[in-house]
Amino acid sequence: MAKRPLIEVAIWTLLIAASHGQIIKTGPDAGQQVPDFSARDQEGRNQTLKSIMGPKGAMLVFFRSADW
Amino acid sequence: MLKSFADRQHITYPLLSDPDSKVIRDYGILNETSKPGTSSYGIPYPGVYVVDAQGRVESKYFEDDYKDRVSTADILARQFRAPLNAAPGAAETKHLLITTAASNDIARPGLRIALSLDIELKPGMHVYAPGVQGYIPIDWRLDEGGPAAKRQSFDYPPSEMLRLEAIGETVPVYQGHIQIRREITFGQEAVLKPLVAATGEVIVKGSFRYQACDDRKCYVPEAVPLLWRFKYEGLDRQRAPSEFQRKPN
Repeated sequence: MAKRPLIEVAIWTLLIAASHGQIIKTGPDAGQQVPDFSARDQEGRNQTLKSIMGPKGAMLVFFRSADW
Repeated sequence: MLKSFADRQHITYPLLSDPDSKVIRDYGILNETSKPGTSSYGIPYPGVYVVDAQGRVESKYFEDDYKDRVSTADILARQFRAPLNAAPGAAETKHLLITTAASNDIARPGLRIALSLDIELKPGMHVYAPGVQGYIPIDWRLDEGGPAAKRQSFDYPPSEMLRLEAIGETVPVYQGHIQIRREITFGQEAVLKPLVAATGEVIVKGSFRYQACDDRKCYVPEAVPLLWRFKYEGLDRQRAPSEFQRKPN
């Protein structure tokens, strides 16, 4: 019985998300390590998490496309 | 394609290509509502991670609506408490001075930004904090139906308890200087574009309501009109040169 309110909250969350047509995924959470990567930049150079890293960290921005 | 985009947008930081959406999948943010075979297949849920030098997530910023985008200036304001200097405004009443500002000076469809309100109470004056009983607390409102289509919830700063000896009450108040910040998301193009003034400006309107008192008396409650002026900037619909454009596969 004690678990039921939690389940109801979960179901309501799902229903609310579904009613908005959106359940977005946001990947690694605060405190978790982000996956390393290897990708080409606009100058054709290969970049990794380490190569783009600044002394205090980095900001990783995911966006859809540089074209439509 | 990235080179042409970076040149056009004057981007100097590394802009990385993820042609097979491998990194997007590794991060677990592939938008699965875009089906294979369509031109949008492989797109991520757009968002921003701030990571420390070891690659651990310090914070992340994703929007519920895929068309909305948090502005970098808003992230700096939220994460690093950067001062807000754009779209400045000011007002003065008998009891206080108000300075308004924003994180950005442009309004773009779906852009999420921060607004600030600095209140400087005149000497001896206090106003009431939310939760007060029997007095009118401060209330920062933003007009509905305007450019600020989404008005995110926000917290008022912590108040102090003031003992009013004359009436034997202790009440939550603000004195001196307080700053309040909140966020808005501009409406999408269909909402925002019709609100652009002939000057090319988009104006967010609101009000600051309060009741001021000093140690002798309380004054008539006031509502101060507030304005934030932004320059409208439409969505960038320019495509990459045709030789770089992605072909549907």
